[in-house]
Parts: sequence; structure tokens; C-alpha cells
Amino acid sequence: MQFTLFFQQLVNGLAIGSVYAIFALGYTLIFSILGIINFAHGAVFTLGAYFTYTLIGAKFGFNGLLAQSQLPFGLPFPLAVLGGAALAGLVGVIIERLAFRPLRARGADPLLTLVSSLGVAVALVNFIQYLVGAEAYSYPSSAFGGLPPSVNFGTPESPLIVRTVQIIIFVVSMLILVVLTYLINSTRTGKALRAVAEDATTSSLLGINTDRLIWITFFLSGFVGGIAGTLVGLSVTITGPYFGIAFGLKGLAVIVLGGLGSIPGAVLGGLVIGVAESLVPASAIGYKEAVAFAILFVILLVRPQGLLGRTLIQKV
Amino acid sequence: MTTPALDIQNLTVYYGAIQALQGINITVYPGEVVTLIGANGAGKSTTLRAISRIVKARSGQIRYDGRDLTALRADEVVRAGIAHVPEGRRVLARLSVADNLFLGAYTRNDRAEIQHDLEEMFRRFPRLAERRAQLAGTLSGGEQQMLAIARALMSRPRLLLLDEPSLGLAPIIVREIFEIIRNLNSTGVTILLVEQNAQLALQNAHRGYVLEAGSITITGEAKALAGDERVKKAYLG
Repeated sequence: MQFTLFFQQLVNGLAIGSVYAIFALGYTLIFSILGIINFAHGAVFTLGAYFTYTLIGAKFGFNGLLAQSQLPFGLPFPLAVLGGAALAGLVGVIIERLAFRPLRARGADPLLTLVSSLGVAVALVNFIQYLVGAEAYSYPSSAFGGLPPSVNFGTPESPLIVRTVQIIIFVVSMLILVVLTYLINSTRTGKALRAVAEDATTSSLLGINTDRLIWITFFLSGFVGGIAGTLVGLSVTITGPYFGIAFGLKGLAVIVLGGLGSIPGAVLGGLVIGVAESLVPASAIGYKEAVAFAILFVILLVRPQGLLGRTLIQKV
Repeated sequence: MTTPALDIQNLTVYYGAIQALQGINITVYPGEVVTLIGANGAGKSTTLRAISRIVKARSGQIRYDGRDLTALRADEVVRAGIAHVPEGRRVLARLSVADNLFLGAYTRNDRAEIQHDLEEMFRRFPRLAERRAQLAGTLSGGEQQMLAIARALMSRPRLLLLDEPSLGLAPIIVREIFEIIRNLNSTGVTILLVEQNAQLALQNAHRGYVLEAGSITITGEAKALAGDERVKKAYLG
């Protein structure tokens, strides 16, 4: 593989890997606090992309209840991303209320919550199809305003061209990681979150309202999931209501690889899988998906707790 | 005496089909140290957990400062002025000593005062100060008990619930912990103390209740209880 191609593929890998990372963070946040995987996260990711599409004032297709309709106004793209993410966060909170809290209040087995979140995922996917049909949607190319579609990092003689959208994805994802890490490690709410993740009963003895922190977690998870959805939609297209399902599976591989419940683990896992996939040579592109799971398999043989996972030490 | 700080009437608690508390009455007056003694499984911890609302009461009343606690959530009980040092310390092992203390003040919003109290705790517990940046899980048992008490104090409670503070600690550390408890009481904090070590508990309390299989069987002044034949025989060896 020549250097230019290698470099471009590396950048692609980092871009897609950073989206895997922030997508997986949504899983990680909820897993670390409730010990369960929220299978509806992929659907929230999908919704985020559609919300952004709606908020920029773009028009829907010929199918579904909202056929040919559009908002009477259009937000500038960055605002629409934030608005879409906030709406996705809100959906996360509603999912918590409907599918998680009632089961938690009755002390149900976590496995049951897994099933109810899966049910929510199916319902959301079908609801999206009911509203806007199954066709693919693309954000208009004018989304970034005046930015050129690609940047040349080389010289005119030996070009090193990278798509602008890849750079944006990578930068935005890293920004989210930094902000989220700061929130969790250094703010009062973040410390309370970590306390609830470690021991919910003791946290409530400190005056922490655990239910409130759980919905904050679902909001954050939905928010970053929504941004991830928009970023992927921007890079390729919104491929339809099932848009997030493949990401849902990939995200599972990422958090297991990185170490369940570990935020740096989710980031590292995402980047490793993204880069590995994009370095699969074109001749073997059919095996691209297999690569992620092969890496997962090999690494788990050596480190069963994942790359940055904690070994389980029971304290007395 | 004046009106009680804590007034428990006919409290019953069930764990599934098992009745853990069978309608107990306990009264604690402001400024007192009251101890609950009894064998393992008698319902001592359950009583404290019912006050803190981390187990549900089936029936009965728990009044604190005239409010009925059974209508509150666990976090609201802390806001009402009650702090609970749970059995087995339950420090947040993956957080630093300083963060544990900081979260103890979660119900408060007075930043400067919280900082002041934090320094006050480090002055009062110098061993915690030396380890302020260390993860709480790396502390020794005695240090964790101090941290659990200091963390509870960070909410500025008027009533402190202490569950088995001597459990698993070396005698010299136990003496240290009880000295801390006496000091706290002398600063005006009311204390409800659960202990398996009845002798130690009665030495440090004003009044006591003996709990047997979910019911209160004997109650009285701590000195009188320490001299009571039944108590001596069952709990003081």
C-alpha cells in the first residue's frame, strides 16, 4: 500500500473510529450506572440523524405520514446538530421512563430490561418508517457553508487529499470526548454519577437522588448518540430507519474490546476497530466486518477484561 | 425532657414474607446518644435502614422534627438533617478520599462553607488528610470507618445514624472511633448507635434499647441496662 493511500485510509479509520467511540460511549455511560446494555441506543442514534435533517429545514420524501413536508424554517447546520442531539437526549430520557424505570422499581432481572430496550428499538425503527418512509436521506452539500469538500495536506505534485467531513467528524468526536471526560471527572454531577455507578444505595445515603442521575445519564447518552448519528449521516447518508442497527452491533464489539464500563476503553476500542477496518485492503473488502470481530476475539483471548477494563476485585 | 428529635411508632418492616421488625417504638431526644443492641439479625440495621428510607416500612410512623419520614425519598431524608454511616463503611472505593468527602456535602450548595468543612475534617482526621488524593478503596479498615463518619458529617447532620462502627476493627482503632463519637455528641450532634459490642455501646450511650427478633424487649438508661441481669447474661458475657 503506497503512503498516500495508507494515510488517507488511516484518516478514514480515525474518523469512523472516533464515531464508533462516541457511539459506544452512550452504551458505556448507561452500562456503568445500571449494569445493562441499552439496545435502543442504535435507534436513538438513527433518530438523531433524522432530527438534524428535520431541523435544517430539509424536505422528506414521498412515503410516510410526513411525506413532502418540511419545517417552515431551517436552522444553520451546527445549531441543527445540537438541537437534534438534544431531542435525541430527550428520547433517551423518555425511553428510561417507559422501558427502564418501571422494571427497576419492581426489582426486575436486568435481562428483562435488555428485552424491553430491544422492544423500544424495534418500535422506534418502525415509527421512523411510518413517519418518513424507508428511503435514504442526505444532508445538503451546503451544510458546512463555504468550506471546500476536501483538503490537500500534500503538495500539488504529490497530493494528500482528505475529505473535509472526515476532519470535522474526528474533531467533533474528540471534542465530545474531552467535554464528557471533564464532566464526569471534575464536576459535582459527574462525581455523583460515578458514585451511583459504584454503589447506588450508598449514594442515596449521601443525599444523591439516584433516579435523577439516571435520567441525566440517559440524556447524555442520547445526546452523544444523536451527534454520532448526524456525523455518520453526514459522511455517508442516512440509509433508512435501520441506519443505527449495524452501529449497535459494532458498538457492542467496541465496548467489550475496550473494557465494559470504561470510558477511555470505549475510545480506544472505537479507534482500534475503525482503523483496523479501514486498513483492510480493497481486494478483501468483503471481510471488512469480519475484521472487527476477529480483533475482538483475539484480544479477548489475551485480555478477557478488554483493553482498559478493570479486573474484578471483590472488596470486603 | 423536650420534644423528641426522632420518634418511631409501631414500625414494621418485611423482607419479602419475613417480618424483620414487628412494630417497634423508639424515641431519641435532641443531644442524646441512644444505642440499639441485640444479636445478629435482630433488626438493628433494618431500623436504621428504615429511617434512611433505603428499606420500605410496611406500617408505622417515623417522625423527625415533626415530619413523617416515611413520605420521603432516601436523598430527602439527608436533606432533612439525618446522615447514615452504613454497616461495612461503604466508602466509594473508586473515588478519592477528597471526592468521598466532597460528595458527603452533596445536599449543600454553600461552596465556601463546604471547602471550610473539608479542611475541618482533614484537621480532625489527620490520617485522611495524608491520603486525600488516594482512592478510598486503598485505605485500611479503620481509615475507611473514619472516612465514612467524616463523609456523613459533611452533610452537617443534626442526627447521625451509626451502624456497627466497631465492626472488624482493632481494639485501639475502636477506642479512637468511640472517642470521635463522644466528641461529636459534645458538639450537639444527636446519635443513634447500632452496636453488637453491647458493653462498648452502653458505656458510650445515655439510653439503650434491646432488640430481639424484631421486637424491643428491654429499654432504659444505659447504666441501668448495663446492670440488668438479662442484658448481662445475653449480651455482656
